Amino acid sequence: MFTQFFGGFLLSKGVVTPEQLVAAMNKQPSAHIQLGMLAMHAGLMTAEQIDEVKIAQTHTDKRFGEICVDKGFLTDAQVDKLLHDQFPSYLLLGQILEENGVFDKRTFQDLIHEYTSEHSIDEESIVIENSDAVKSIITDYCKDMDSSNKTFLIEYVQLLANNLIRFIGDDFTLLPPVKNHYKLTEKYSNQRITGPYQLTSIIDMSAETAISFASRYVSEKFDNFNEYVQASMEDFLNLHNGLFNVNISNYYSVELNLEAPVSGESTEESNRDGSYLFSALYPFGTVNIIISEK
Amino acid sequence: MLLKDAKILIGDDSILARKQLMDLLTSMGATKFIEAVNGKDAVEKYITDKPDLVFLDIVMPIKDGITAVQEIIAENPQATIIIVSSVGTQQQLKAALEAGAKDFIQKPLKPAQIQNIIATIYD
Repeated sequence: MFTQFFGGFLLSKGVVTPEQLVAAMNKQPSAHIQLGMLAMHAGLMTAEQIDEVKIAQTHTDKRFGEICVDKGFLTDAQVDKLLHDQFPSYLLLGQILEENGVFDKRTFQDLIHEYTSEHSIDEESIVIENSDAVKSIITDYCKDMDSSNKTFLIEYVQLLANNLIRFIGDDFTLLPPVKNHYKLTEKYSNQRITGPYQLTSIIDMSAETAISFASRYVSEKFDNFNEYVQASMEDFLNLHNGLFNVNISNYYSVELNLEAPVSGESTEESNRDGSYLFSALYPFGTVNIIISEK
Repeated sequence: MLLKDAKILIGDDSILARKQLMDLLTSMGATKFIEAVNGKDAVEKYITDKPDLVFLDIVMPIKDGITAVQEIIAENPQATIIIVSSVGTQQQLKAALEAGAKDFIQKPLKPAQIQNIIATIYD
Protein backbone atom coordinates (compact mmCIF):
# COMPACT_ATOMS: atom_id res chain seq x y z
CA MET A 1 0.00 0.00 0.00
CA PHE A 2 2.90 2.40 0.72
CA THR A 3 4.18 2.17 -2.84
CA GLN A 4 0.84 3.04 -4.47
CA PHE A 5 0.68 6.26 -2.49
CA PHE A 6 4.40 7.02 -2.74
CA GLY A 7 3.98 7.82 -6.46
CA GLY A 8 1.23 10.29 -5.60
CA PHE A 9 3.45 11.76 -2.90
CA LEU A 10 6.25 12.33 -5.44
CA LEU A 11 3.80 13.92 -7.87
CA SER A 12 2.40 16.21 -5.19
CA LYS A 13 5.96 17.33 -4.39
CA GLY A 14 6.43 18.17 -8.07
CA VAL A 15 9.58 16.05 -8.34
CA VAL A 16 8.24 13.71 -11.04
CA THR A 17 5.80 13.87 -13.95
CA PRO A 18 3.18 11.16 -14.51
CA GLU A 19 5.12 10.09 -17.64
CA GLN A 20 8.36 9.65 -15.67
CA LEU A 21 6.49 7.69 -13.04
CA VAL A 22 4.91 5.30 -15.55
CA ALA A 23 8.26 4.83 -17.31
CA ALA A 24 9.82 3.86 -13.95
CA MET A 25 6.92 1.56 -13.08
CA ASN A 26 7.40 -0.26 -16.39
CA LYS A 27 11.00 -1.03 -15.44
CA GLN A 28 10.11 -2.32 -11.96
CA PRO A 29 9.52 -6.00 -12.83
CA SER A 30 13.05 -6.46 -14.23
CA ALA A 31 14.89 -4.17 -11.80
CA HIS A 32 16.81 -5.25 -8.70
CA ILE A 33 17.23 -3.25 -5.57
CA GLN A 34 20.77 -2.15 -4.80
CA LEU A 35 22.43 -2.64 -1.44
CA GLY A 36 23.25 1.05 -1.29
CA MET A 37 19.61 1.99 -1.58
CA LEU A 38 18.72 -0.44 1.22
CA ALA A 39 21.46 1.00 3.43
CA MET A 40 20.32 4.55 2.73
CA HIS A 41 16.71 3.63 3.52
CA ALA A 42 17.79 2.03 6.79
CA GLY A 43 19.67 5.22 7.67
CA LEU A 44 23.01 3.38 7.70
CA MET A 45 24.61 5.22 4.78
CA THR A 46 24.31 8.64 3.21
CA ALA A 47 23.94 9.40 -0.50
CA GLU A 48 27.50 10.72 -0.52
CA GLN A 49 28.90 7.51 1.00
CA ILE A 50 27.08 5.43 -1.63
CA ASP A 51 28.64 7.52 -4.40
CA GLU A 52 32.04 7.12 -2.76
CA VAL A 53 31.67 3.32 -2.74
CA LYS A 54 30.48 3.32 -6.35
CA ILE A 55 33.57 5.24 -7.43
CA ALA A 56 35.78 2.86 -5.43
CA GLN A 57 34.06 -0.04 -7.18
CA THR A 58 35.41 1.12 -10.54
CA HIS A 59 38.99 0.63 -9.27
CA THR A 60 38.57 -2.84 -7.79
CA ASP A 61 36.68 -6.06 -8.48
CA LYS A 62 35.27 -6.13 -4.95
CA ARG A 63 31.53 -6.19 -4.40
CA PHE A 64 29.64 -3.17 -3.17
CA GLY A 65 29.06 -4.71 0.27
CA GLU A 66 32.70 -5.64 0.74
CA ILE A 67 33.85 -2.08 0.01
CA CYS A 68 31.25 -0.72 2.45
CA VAL A 69 32.69 -2.98 5.13
CA ASP A 70 36.29 -2.04 4.22
CA LYS A 71 35.44 1.64 4.53
CA GLY A 72 33.66 1.09 7.81
CA PHE A 73 30.26 2.24 6.53
CA LEU A 74 28.63 -1.12 7.27
CA THR A 75 29.45 -4.25 9.25
CA ASP A 76 29.21 -7.75 7.76
CA ALA A 77 26.18 -8.37 9.93
CA GLN A 78 24.47 -5.23 8.63
CA VAL A 79 25.15 -6.22 4.99
CA ASP A 80 23.69 -9.63 5.68
CA LYS A 81 20.62 -8.19 7.40
CA LEU A 82 19.97 -5.65 4.63
CA LEU A 83 20.15 -8.34 1.97
CA HIS A 84 17.74 -10.62 3.79
CA ASP A 85 15.18 -8.22 5.23
CA GLN A 86 12.03 -7.33 3.34
CA PHE A 87 12.07 -3.88 1.76
CA PRO A 88 9.25 -1.65 0.57
CA SER A 89 8.80 -1.66 -3.21
CA TYR A 90 8.64 2.15 -3.29
CA LEU A 91 12.38 1.98 -2.71
CA LEU A 92 12.84 0.20 -6.03
CA LEU A 93 10.62 2.76 -7.74
CA GLY A 94 12.75 5.57 -6.31
CA GLN A 95 15.97 3.82 -7.33
CA ILE A 96 14.78 3.58 -10.95
CA LEU A 97 13.74 7.25 -10.94
CA GLU A 98 17.19 8.14 -9.61
CA GLU A 99 18.87 5.97 -12.27
CA ASN A 100 16.71 7.68 -14.90
CA GLY A 101 18.04 11.02 -13.71
CA VAL A 102 14.68 12.30 -12.46
CA PHE A 103 16.23 13.27 -9.13
CA ASP A 104 19.53 12.63 -7.35
CA LYS A 105 20.21 10.31 -4.43
CA ARG A 106 20.35 13.13 -1.92
CA THR A 107 16.89 14.35 -2.95
CA PHE A 108 15.57 10.80 -2.79
CA GLN A 109 17.06 10.36 0.68
CA ASP A 110 15.20 13.49 1.83
CA LEU A 111 11.97 12.37 0.16
CA ILE A 112 12.09 8.96 1.82
CA HIS A 113 12.71 10.59 5.16
CA GLU A 114 9.77 12.96 4.68
CA TYR A 115 7.42 10.22 3.47
CA THR A 116 8.23 7.71 6.20
CA SER A 117 8.22 10.22 9.05
CA GLU A 118 4.98 11.88 7.88
CA HIS A 119 3.21 8.53 8.12
CA SER A 120 5.24 6.87 10.89
CA ILE A 121 6.35 4.10 8.54
CA ASP A 122 8.95 2.07 10.41
CA GLU A 123 10.69 -1.23 9.76
CA GLU A 124 7.89 -3.22 11.34
CA SER A 125 5.10 -1.49 9.44
CA ILE A 126 6.83 -2.25 6.14
CA VAL A 127 6.77 -5.96 6.85
CA ILE A 128 3.21 -6.21 8.10
CA GLU A 129 1.79 -3.07 6.45
CA ASN A 130 0.96 -1.72 9.89
CA SER A 131 -2.66 -0.62 9.86
CA ASP A 132 -2.02 2.68 11.67
CA ALA A 133 0.57 3.70 9.08
CA VAL A 134 -1.74 2.69 6.21
CA LYS A 135 -4.63 4.55 7.80
CA SER A 136 -2.42 7.61 8.16
CA ILE A 137 -1.58 7.55 4.44
CA ILE A 138 -5.21 7.14 3.40
CA THR A 139 -6.41 9.82 5.81
CA ASP A 140 -3.77 12.19 4.48
CA TYR A 141 -4.74 11.30 0.90
CA CYS A 142 -8.38 12.17 1.67
CA LYS A 143 -7.64 15.25 3.80
CA ASP A 144 -9.01 17.83 1.33
CA MET A 145 -12.14 15.85 0.49
CA ASP A 146 -15.54 17.00 1.72
CA SER A 147 -17.86 14.24 2.82
CA SER A 148 -21.11 13.62 4.65
CA ASN A 149 -19.26 10.80 6.42
CA LYS A 150 -15.49 11.05 6.29
CA THR A 151 -15.01 7.73 8.10
CA PHE A 152 -16.96 5.86 5.41
CA LEU A 153 -15.20 7.76 2.65
CA ILE A 154 -11.79 6.81 4.02
CA GLU A 155 -12.96 3.19 4.31
CA TYR A 156 -14.09 3.36 0.68
CA VAL A 157 -10.77 4.71 -0.60
CA GLN A 158 -8.71 2.28 1.48
CA LEU A 159 -10.77 -0.67 0.24
CA LEU A 160 -10.47 0.61 -3.33
CA ALA A 161 -6.68 0.65 -3.09
CA ASN A 162 -6.76 -2.83 -1.53
CA ASN A 163 -9.07 -4.21 -4.20
CA LEU A 164 -6.98 -2.78 -7.02
CA ILE A 165 -3.94 -4.47 -5.44
CA ARG A 166 -5.83 -7.71 -4.84
CA PHE A 167 -7.65 -8.09 -8.15
CA ILE A 168 -5.66 -6.10 -10.73
CA GLY A 169 -2.11 -5.80 -9.38
CA ASP A 170 0.01 -3.70 -7.07
CA ASP A 171 2.01 -1.96 -9.81
CA PHE A 172 0.05 1.29 -9.78
CA THR A 173 0.26 4.78 -8.41
CA LEU A 174 -2.84 6.52 -7.14
CA LEU A 175 -2.83 10.15 -8.18
CA PRO A 176 -4.16 12.76 -5.74
CA PRO A 177 -7.97 13.16 -5.90
CA VAL A 178 -9.32 15.74 -8.35
CA LYS A 179 -12.34 17.63 -7.06
CA ASN A 180 -15.43 18.69 -9.04
CA HIS A 181 -14.09 17.86 -12.47
CA TYR A 182 -13.68 14.79 -14.61
CA LYS A 183 -13.81 13.78 -18.23
CA LEU A 184 -14.80 10.25 -19.10
CA THR A 185 -12.25 8.47 -21.28
CA GLU A 186 -14.36 6.01 -23.25
CA LYS A 187 -15.77 2.92 -21.54
CA TYR A 188 -17.46 3.14 -18.18
CA SER A 189 -19.58 1.30 -15.64
CA ASN A 190 -21.39 2.99 -12.80
CA GLN A 191 -23.20 1.87 -9.69
CA ARG A 192 -25.11 3.50 -6.87
CA ILE A 193 -24.91 2.73 -3.19
CA THR A 194 -28.08 3.81 -1.41
CA GLY A 195 -29.28 3.91 2.17
CA PRO A 196 -27.97 5.92 5.14
CA TYR A 197 -24.78 6.65 3.14
CA GLN A 198 -25.19 7.37 -0.57
CA LEU A 199 -22.50 7.19 -3.17
CA THR A 200 -22.36 6.97 -6.94
CA SER A 201 -19.24 5.34 -8.32
CA ILE A 202 -17.94 5.16 -11.87
CA ILE A 203 -15.06 3.14 -13.26
CA ASP A 204 -13.77 4.55 -16.53
CA MET A 205 -10.92 3.81 -18.92
CA SER A 206 -10.05 3.54 -22.59
CA ALA A 207 -11.05 0.39 -24.48
CA GLU A 208 -7.39 -0.53 -24.82
CA THR A 209 -6.79 -0.16 -21.08
CA ALA A 210 -9.98 -2.12 -20.38
CA ILE A 211 -8.63 -5.09 -22.38
CA SER A 212 -5.52 -5.27 -20.17
CA PHE A 213 -7.60 -4.57 -17.04
CA ALA A 214 -9.94 -7.47 -17.85
CA SER A 215 -7.06 -9.79 -18.74
CA ARG A 216 -5.64 -9.23 -15.27
CA TYR A 217 -9.00 -9.37 -13.49
CA VAL A 218 -10.09 -12.65 -15.08
CA SER A 219 -6.56 -14.09 -15.52
CA GLU A 220 -7.39 -14.76 -19.14
CA LYS A 221 -5.99 -12.99 -22.19
CA PHE A 222 -8.36 -10.76 -24.16
CA ASP A 223 -7.31 -9.34 -27.54
CA ASN A 224 -10.21 -7.01 -28.25
CA PHE A 225 -12.92 -5.14 -26.39
CA ASN A 226 -15.90 -7.47 -26.05
CA GLU A 227 -18.78 -8.11 -23.66
CA TYR A 228 -16.54 -10.01 -21.25
CA VAL A 229 -14.13 -7.08 -21.06
CA GLN A 230 -17.01 -4.69 -20.36
CA ALA A 231 -18.39 -7.15 -17.80
CA SER A 232 -15.00 -7.25 -16.05
CA MET A 233 -15.17 -3.51 -15.38
CA GLU A 234 -18.72 -3.87 -14.12
CA ASP A 235 -17.87 -6.93 -12.05
CA PHE A 236 -14.89 -5.25 -10.40
CA LEU A 237 -16.99 -2.23 -9.43
CA ASN A 238 -19.82 -4.42 -8.18
CA LEU A 239 -17.44 -6.58 -6.18
CA HIS A 240 -15.70 -3.58 -4.67
CA ASN A 241 -18.96 -1.86 -3.72
CA GLY A 242 -20.39 -5.11 -2.39
CA LEU A 243 -17.36 -5.64 -0.16
CA PHE A 244 -17.62 -2.01 0.99
CA ASN A 245 -21.23 -2.62 2.04
CA VAL A 246 -20.16 -5.77 3.88
CA ASN A 247 -17.42 -3.87 5.76
CA ILE A 248 -19.76 -1.03 6.69
CA SER A 249 -22.32 -3.54 7.93
CA ASN A 250 -19.74 -5.55 9.89
CA TYR A 251 -17.80 -2.68 11.46
CA TYR A 252 -20.42 0.06 11.82
CA SER A 253 -23.73 -1.89 11.81
CA VAL A 254 -25.00 0.32 9.01
CA GLU A 255 -26.90 -1.45 6.23
CA LEU A 256 -26.42 -0.09 2.71
CA ASN A 257 -28.01 -1.17 -0.54
CA LEU A 258 -26.53 -1.63 -3.95
CA GLU A 259 -28.18 -1.00 -7.29
CA ALA A 260 -27.30 -3.02 -10.38
CA PRO A 261 -24.35 -1.54 -12.30
CA VAL A 262 -24.87 0.10 -15.67
CA SER A 263 -22.26 0.24 -18.44
CA GLY A 264 -21.77 2.35 -21.51
CA GLU A 265 -19.53 4.52 -23.58
CA SER A 266 -18.99 8.23 -23.05
CA THR A 267 -16.42 11.01 -23.25
CA GLU A 268 -18.61 13.40 -21.29
CA GLU A 269 -16.91 16.16 -19.33
CA SER A 270 -18.43 17.06 -15.98
CA ASN A 271 -18.00 19.73 -13.37
CA ARG A 272 -20.26 17.95 -10.94
CA ASP A 273 -20.06 19.54 -7.53
CA GLY A 274 -18.85 17.07 -4.91
CA SER A 275 -17.33 14.58 -7.35
CA TYR A 276 -13.83 13.18 -6.89
CA LEU A 277 -11.68 11.54 -9.53
CA PHE A 278 -9.05 8.99 -8.50
CA SER A 279 -6.70 7.91 -11.24
CA ALA A 280 -4.67 4.74 -10.82
CA LEU A 281 -1.70 4.81 -13.18
CA TYR A 282 -0.88 1.27 -14.27
CA PRO A 283 1.83 0.41 -16.79
CA PHE A 284 -0.97 -0.71 -19.16
CA GLY A 285 -3.01 2.51 -18.81
CA THR A 286 -5.00 4.70 -16.48
CA VAL A 287 -7.94 3.34 -14.50
CA ASN A 288 -10.22 6.13 -13.31
CA ILE A 289 -12.63 5.84 -10.42
CA ILE A 290 -15.04 8.70 -9.89
CA ILE A 291 -17.18 8.98 -6.79
CA SER A 292 -19.86 11.42 -5.78
CA GLU A 293 -21.96 11.49 -2.66
CA LYS A 294 -24.53 13.75 -4.33
CA MET B 1 -29.05 -37.76 -9.50
CA LEU B 2 -25.52 -37.14 -10.79
CA LEU B 3 -24.15 -33.67 -11.37
CA LYS B 4 -23.67 -34.39 -15.07
CA ASP B 5 -27.42 -34.98 -15.43
CA ALA B 6 -28.49 -31.97 -13.36
CA LYS B 7 -30.05 -28.96 -15.05
CA ILE B 8 -28.45 -25.89 -13.49
CA LEU B 9 -29.93 -22.41 -13.72
CA ILE B 10 -27.50 -19.52 -13.27
CA GLY B 11 -29.09 -16.11 -12.72
CA ASP B 12 -26.65 -13.21 -12.80
CA ASP B 13 -26.71 -9.98 -14.81
CA SER B 14 -22.96 -10.30 -15.37
CA ILE B 15 -22.07 -12.44 -18.39
CA LEU B 16 -18.62 -12.80 -16.85
CA ALA B 17 -19.96 -14.09 -13.52
CA ARG B 18 -22.20 -16.59 -15.36
CA LYS B 19 -19.27 -17.81 -17.47
CA GLN B 20 -16.96 -18.17 -14.46
CA LEU B 21 -19.51 -20.20 -12.54
CA MET B 22 -20.34 -22.36 -15.58
CA ASP B 23 -16.63 -23.00 -16.23
CA LEU B 24 -16.17 -24.04 -12.63
CA LEU B 25 -19.20 -26.33 -12.61
CA THR B 26 -18.22 -27.79 -15.98
CA SER B 27 -14.79 -28.66 -14.57
CA MET B 28 -16.63 -30.56 -11.85
CA GLY B 29 -18.72 -32.53 -14.34
CA ALA B 30 -21.85 -30.45 -14.92
CA THR B 31 -23.13 -30.37 -18.50
CA LYS B 32 -26.56 -28.73 -18.59
CA PHE B 33 -26.93 -25.00 -18.02
CA ILE B 34 -29.66 -22.42 -18.33
CA GLU B 35 -28.67 -18.75 -18.13
CA ALA B 36 -30.83 -15.92 -16.80
CA VAL B 37 -29.82 -12.26 -16.99
CA ASN B 38 -31.96 -10.88 -14.13
CA GLY B 39 -34.33 -12.02 -11.37
CA LYS B 40 -37.42 -11.92 -13.58
CA ASP B 41 -35.71 -13.96 -16.27
CA ALA B 42 -34.58 -16.46 -13.62
CA VAL B 43 -38.10 -16.97 -12.24
CA GLU B 44 -39.56 -17.41 -15.74
CA LYS B 45 -36.87 -19.90 -16.74
CA TYR B 46 -37.28 -21.76 -13.46
CA ILE B 47 -40.99 -22.25 -14.22
CA THR B 48 -40.47 -23.32 -17.84
CA ASP B 49 -37.26 -25.36 -17.54
CA LYS B 50 -37.63 -26.77 -14.01
CA PRO B 51 -33.90 -26.90 -13.19
CA ASP B 52 -32.52 -29.12 -10.43
CA LEU B 53 -30.18 -26.52 -8.98
CA VAL B 54 -30.25 -22.70 -9.03
CA PHE B 55 -27.47 -20.17 -8.47
CA LEU B 56 -28.64 -16.58 -8.07
CA ASP B 57 -26.94 -13.23 -7.67
CA ILE B 58 -28.67 -10.68 -5.39
CA VAL B 59 -27.98 -7.34 -7.08
CA MET B 60 -29.69 -7.62 -10.46
CA PRO B 61 -31.78 -5.24 -12.54
CA ILE B 62 -35.59 -5.57 -12.95
CA LYS B 63 -35.93 -8.08 -10.12
CA ASP B 64 -33.36 -8.71 -7.39
CA GLY B 65 -32.18 -12.15 -6.30
CA ILE B 66 -33.99 -12.25 -2.94
CA THR B 67 -37.36 -11.54 -4.62
CA ALA B 68 -36.53 -14.18 -7.22
CA VAL B 69 -35.82 -16.73 -4.44
CA GLN B 70 -39.20 -15.94 -2.84
CA GLU B 71 -41.04 -16.43 -6.14
CA ILE B 72 -39.20 -19.65 -7.02
CA ILE B 73 -39.87 -21.07 -3.53
CA ALA B 74 -43.55 -20.12 -3.93
CA GLU B 75 -43.52 -22.18 -7.12
CA ASN B 76 -41.56 -25.06 -5.59
CA PRO B 77 -40.84 -25.09 -1.83
CA GLN B 78 -38.24 -27.84 -2.42
CA ALA B 79 -36.16 -25.79 -4.88
CA THR B 80 -32.40 -25.89 -4.26
CA ILE B 81 -31.20 -22.31 -4.54
CA ILE B 82 -27.71 -21.03 -3.76
CA ILE B 83 -27.06 -17.28 -3.55
CA VAL B 84 -23.78 -16.03 -4.99
CA SER B 85 -23.24 -12.37 -4.17
CA SER B 86 -20.67 -9.70 -3.46
CA VAL B 87 -22.97 -8.28 -0.77
CA GLY B 88 -22.61 -10.88 1.96
CA THR B 89 -23.87 -8.79 4.85
CA GLN B 90 -25.60 -10.48 7.76
CA GLN B 91 -28.82 -8.79 6.69
CA GLN B 92 -28.61 -10.12 3.13
CA LEU B 93 -27.62 -13.58 4.37
CA LYS B 94 -30.62 -13.61 6.72
CA ALA B 95 -32.96 -12.36 3.99
CA ALA B 96 -31.72 -15.00 1.54
CA LEU B 97 -32.07 -17.87 4.00
CA GLU B 98 -35.48 -16.68 5.20
CA ALA B 99 -36.61 -16.49 1.57
CA GLY B 100 -35.65 -20.14 1.18
CA ALA B 101 -32.09 -20.18 -0.19
CA LYS B 102 -30.06 -23.20 0.92
CA ASP B 103 -26.68 -21.50 1.02
CA PHE B 104 -24.88 -18.21 0.47
CA ILE B 105 -21.53 -17.74 -1.24
CA GLN B 106 -19.63 -14.47 -0.93
CA LYS B 107 -17.93 -13.28 -4.13
CA PRO B 108 -15.19 -13.43 -5.32
CA LEU B 109 -15.86 -17.07 -6.12
CA LYS B 110 -13.59 -19.59 -4.52
CA PRO B 111 -13.68 -23.02 -6.23
CA ALA B 112 -13.55 -24.83 -2.87
CA GLN B 113 -16.81 -23.22 -1.75
CA ILE B 114 -18.64 -24.39 -4.86
CA GLN B 115 -17.05 -27.84 -4.61
CA ASN B 116 -18.20 -28.18 -1.00
CA ILE B 117 -21.75 -27.22 -1.87
CA ILE B 118 -21.88 -29.52 -4.88
CA ALA B 119 -20.45 -32.36 -2.77
CA THR B 120 -23.19 -31.83 -0.18
CA ILE B 121 -25.94 -31.95 -2.78
CA TYR B 122 -24.66 -34.63 -5.17
CA ASP B 123 -22.62 -37.05 -3.03
